Amino acid sequence: MKHHNVPNPKPLLTRRRFLQASLVGGFGVTFGGAFLAGKEFIWPRVMEYFGPRGETFIAKVADYNENLAAIILSGMAELGVDAPLIRGKRILLKPNLVEPHRTARHINTHPLVVRGAVEAFLSLGAERVIVAEGSGHYRDTQLVLEESGMVDVLYEDKIPFKDLNSSEWYIAPNLGNYTKLSTLTFPSILKQVDWIVSMPKLKTHHWAGVTLSMKNMFGVMPGMFYGWPKNVLHLHGITQSIIDINITMPPQFVIVDGIIGMEGDGPIMGMPKRSGVIVLGRNPVSVDATCARIMGIDPYKIRHLNAARAIGPIRDTYIYQRGEIVSSVRTDFELLDEIHAQRGLRLS
Amino acid sequence: MNKKDVAFHLQNLADRVVLQGGFSEQSGSVYRSDATAWAIMALDANGAHTNLINPARSRLAAEQRLDGMIALSNDHPDSYWPTSLAILAWYNSIKYSESMQRAASFLLQKSGMALESKSYPIFGHDPSIPGWSWNVHSFSWVEPTALAIIALESAGYIDHPRVQDGVRLLMDRQLPGGGWNYGNTVVYDQELLPQPDNTGIALTALVSKVDRRDIEISLDYLHNRVVSLRSPRSLSWALLGLGSWGQRPSKSKEWILKSLSLQDRYGAYDTTLLSQLCLAFIAQNGTIPFLLPRNNIDEAS
Repeated sequence: MKHHNVPNPKPLLTRRRFLQASLVGGFGVTFGGAFLAGKEFIWPRVMEYFGPRGETFIAKVADYNENLAAIILSGMAELGVDAPLIRGKRILLKPNLVEPHRTARHINTHPLVVRGAVEAFLSLGAERVIVAEGSGHYRDTQLVLEESGMVDVLYEDKIPFKDLNSSEWYIAPNLGNYTKLSTLTFPSILKQVDWIVSMPKLKTHHWAGVTLSMKNMFGVMPGMFYGWPKNVLHLHGITQSIIDINITMPPQFVIVDGIIGMEGDGPIMGMPKRSGVIVLGRNPVSVDATCARIMGIDPYKIRHLNAARAIGPIRDTYIYQRGEIVSSVRTDFELLDEIHAQRGLRLS
Repeated sequence: MNKKDVAFHLQNLADRVVLQGGFSEQSGSVYRSDATAWAIMALDANGAHTNLINPARSRLAAEQRLDGMIALSNDHPDSYWPTSLAILAWYNSIKYSESMQRAASFLLQKSGMALESKSYPIFGHDPSIPGWSWNVHSFSWVEPTALAIIALESAGYIDHPRVQDGVRLLMDRQLPGGGWNYGNTVVYDQELLPQPDNTGIALTALVSKVDRRDIEISLDYLHNRVVSLRSPRSLSWALLGLGSWGQRPSKSKEWILKSLSLQDRYGAYDTTLLSQLCLAFIAQNGTIPFLLPRNNIDEAS
């Protein structure tokens, strides 16, 4: 395994401290307007430079029959996620089960990766691990679990499952304010856990370019309020919604199933792509940027990743790379010219 | 009572009644308008626990807004899709006919967002046809449109132009290869995949409104698909959809009981799902009770 060293982190700068400094400097009003107008351009650049560095772990994994729990555990160890940190914590695993079909298993997070994650967290002393999803296109949760193959793993391992589309809810202030939504509604179960683990599939996406750990968080938004599909969020802007959700309800950890991903017309109709990796990390933005590079995609050209630099770095020299280096696992995913969101994304 | 007896599951539904009338979605949980409407329909159709029905209908009426809307919850007044369910829950009772008509008026005035028909050429469907949505701030989708059609028909508006538009929307969203999904057909020249629940809902809404030849391909899809379905939502709607067109499979009740028994494996079903299975179980010749002629009006009302 190779480690890619990066320069020391820059001093931390929060948005509040940045605005205070602007006001003290006498140009707050003028700059404030520009800041708001350039929310997607100026602030992310500043925050990426001054903000905390990212750290991701890449493992080569040939197929789903490998000891995935051991691989995930080794990655967690590299990232400092150990027993003292996890002991006693309630963990919610959020796989991607957007629209399962028995004949197209590459659409969804593989159940064996979920099983590996459950075993890893339990072995580190987690008090409880549950799996939860609010499928984006399907109201029939049981069919989702059956078609994805998840139901057998859940039943055999006695892992509880929560349907996020139709359970009790609470309303939280929208801390991102990238959309015009003043509040966001979340399932109450999210308040009852200590860690949310986003477990996406490595996929291209015909609206967002890629769908990884940040886009996967759409699945925590209850369909009974946001619809099937979650069209209310689409109409407020996919990019803006992704960032609002991830600022207001950030996942504490990410495990990406990239053993077999999806290329082309994702997230449903694309083709399977054997990429042979599992990617882990504590900062979703950095994990997604690393995944994009593995897919041969420039993260700066993914609109929501570019804007998300306000909450995590995507620049490769700002991300401590553990495990494999990106170039050793890069496998270019097919991008379709007819899909606007996929044009010109290729990493040079 | 035996778990293989539907009465056992109707008792489970009855146990979810909440203090001020109405039902919760799970045992011990709070009132929900959608769960209440489904429980009313299931209990009424099965003639079970009828003492709980009118208090539940009253609760729905009490929660109705002045404009006629029944929201999913008071803190989410934009989520209006339970309005259609409430109309069906009030269907058999004169006492609530005013509430029902106000709800129908609300639906007739409300539609999903629409676009000019050629504004998004990447989509295979026509976004200009007005239907209904889950939420005020959203486009029109298959399930809320189909439920609104069924509700408005039961309220006497079968010939209303909005209902005709809804039918047109459903036909426009039928997949070329048969069946329906949530509401997209072709995106970037790729035909999307059908879903059994939405197919069943759409077929239920379209009965007697379109020529059988125009939906035969979807009946074929669902007829093949239902054999392997045991999840409550998809199985219920598949059986209701097929039954509406006279194709209820002979093993329907056996499959429903199998689905009910799966609660031992998956845990207790939500009120909505349990109600849908109980409705599909009792459906006479496959027809759902709330689409039958009004011959069972609640005299006590």
